[in-house]
Amino acid sequence: MTLRAELRTFFFLNREILRWIFLGPFQGRPVRTAAVFRQMVRIGVQAFPMTALTSLSIGLTLAMQGAQELSRMGASAYVPNLVAVTILRELGPLLVGVVVIGRSGSAVTAELGTMKVGEEIEALEVMAINPVRFLVVPRFLAMLVMLPVLTVFGDYIGLAGGWTICHFAMDMGTATYIQRLMEAGHPLDLYSGMVKSFVFAWLIILISCQSGLGVSGGAEGVGQATTSSVVTSILAMLVANAVLTAVFFVF
Amino acid sequence: MPVIEVRDLVRKFGDRTVLNGVTFSVEKGETMIIMGGSGCGKSTLLRHIIGSMKPTSGSIKLFGEEITTMPAPQLEQLRLRFGMNFQFGALLQSLTVGENVALPLVENSRVDPAIIDLIVKMKLELVGLTGFENLKPAEISGGMRKRVGLARAVALDPELLFSDEPTSGLDPIMTAVIDRLTHDLTRKLDMTAVVVTHDMVSAFRIGSKMIVLGAGKRAGTIIAQGSPDEIRNHPDPEVRQFINGEPDGPVPLKLSPEDYIDRLLGHPRQKGVAY
Repeated sequence: MTLRAELRTFFFLNREILRWIFLGPFQGRPVRTAAVFRQMVRIGVQAFPMTALTSLSIGLTLAMQGAQELSRMGASAYVPNLVAVTILRELGPLLVGVVVIGRSGSAVTAELGTMKVGEEIEALEVMAINPVRFLVVPRFLAMLVMLPVLTVFGDYIGLAGGWTICHFAMDMGTATYIQRLMEAGHPLDLYSGMVKSFVFAWLIILISCQSGLGVSGGAEGVGQATTSSVVTSILAMLVANAVLTAVFFVF
Repeated sequence: MPVIEVRDLVRKFGDRTVLNGVTFSVEKGETMIIMGGSGCGKSTLLRHIIGSMKPTSGSIKLFGEEITTMPAPQLEQLRLRFGMNFQFGALLQSLTVGENVALPLVENSRVDPAIIDLIVKMKLELVGLTGFENLKPAEISGGMRKRVGLARAVALDPELLFSDEPTSGLDPIMTAVIDRLTHDLTRKLDMTAVVVTHDMVSAFRIGSKMIVLGAGKRAGTIIAQGSPDEIRNHPDPEVRQFINGEPDGPVPLKLSPEDYIDRLLGHPRQKGVAY
């Protein structure tokens, strides 16, 4: 499909999702709450261990690298500042996004793709059940809630990783570390990270669902769609990240 | 007024014409059998009638309403009036057998969950699958999946039932059960049915009207149409070959040795070369 056609499908899917969320309940077609929670568990809760591990290791390495460089200038006391700003503003949302794309976005594409190949999507349509309302909306809402939530968790765990280095390798007191964090990190840093993760969630789930629903050609098609969904999601996320960072600098 | 009216239906995939001027109609309470060789466009025809494919040209009317140009919300309303039994069941793999059968009821009716439970049991009983409610589709056989598909198709007691090869892969007893079910639904409850099948025994057992789609040069056109008796005694050699299940006839299988070599080579043989 051409880029233009892809974009048209993307906006069409957006419109459909919003229509089912906001207008559906007034037409006797409410959002399937139980399905939303089921997807929240699959997309978010089950991604937590992986997110935690990634964030922890980044917090650790960030503090180690920072300590190494900053101590040469006698500024190792600023390690917490470095960790706070980097994780809250940039790495937290981005890394959690990458983990969720690899773990949950790809799963969504593969699942919807397999359903498409197995005629399940067609069967839903023939039963007068709209696939966007039935399958996409719960995943969309789950992702929109869970990615920011995971990002908050990831931020905390990353900061805890920084603390491990500061506390055990640099003899910095826990109270000092927390105090430095509070001084360095503005609420705005956290909020900008949250806005980012919300935008990322929107992009990731739409790209994943669109790739899955567009599958054709059997098992091979599902594989290709999953690959392209991961690649496109990461690219879209990086571009959005650059744009949002620039926007936040302006304000 | 016919329940289904198809007129001059043409469908092309690229330069390949899969359906070429198909015209027929089905009256209320009839069981229409669609027959034809593998890959002749039977399933494609069915997909057009249920509205999941759009024709290149031609008209399809269900219950007197044109569906080829119908907007999606209206088509959705119309779809509540018919059930479709897919060739491989098309069950939702993430739901259990019982949840699959309950799905149309849960989503498209306001029936109490206790009653839905009862209806699910009744429908599964019809297809001989009582007690399998809590298994996942992956845990049952292909033939069973197909029967669950049929139970789901009739869950909302539709006026019109489409069945894509409902008995292929079933044992003779189950085939008879499914045939009896289709027969009862149409004769006793006045349901209209369209069944695509290869199985001649089953076709003549349940059909009240038949069409045969052609192969080769006549691919995608109706070569015979009429009552079971008319089809059984049809003069067309291709229809006879199909009904009697003969390996050779108008639909050629055996080639002359010369043609065989040509086909293998992909070009005519050179003169003076021994093969």
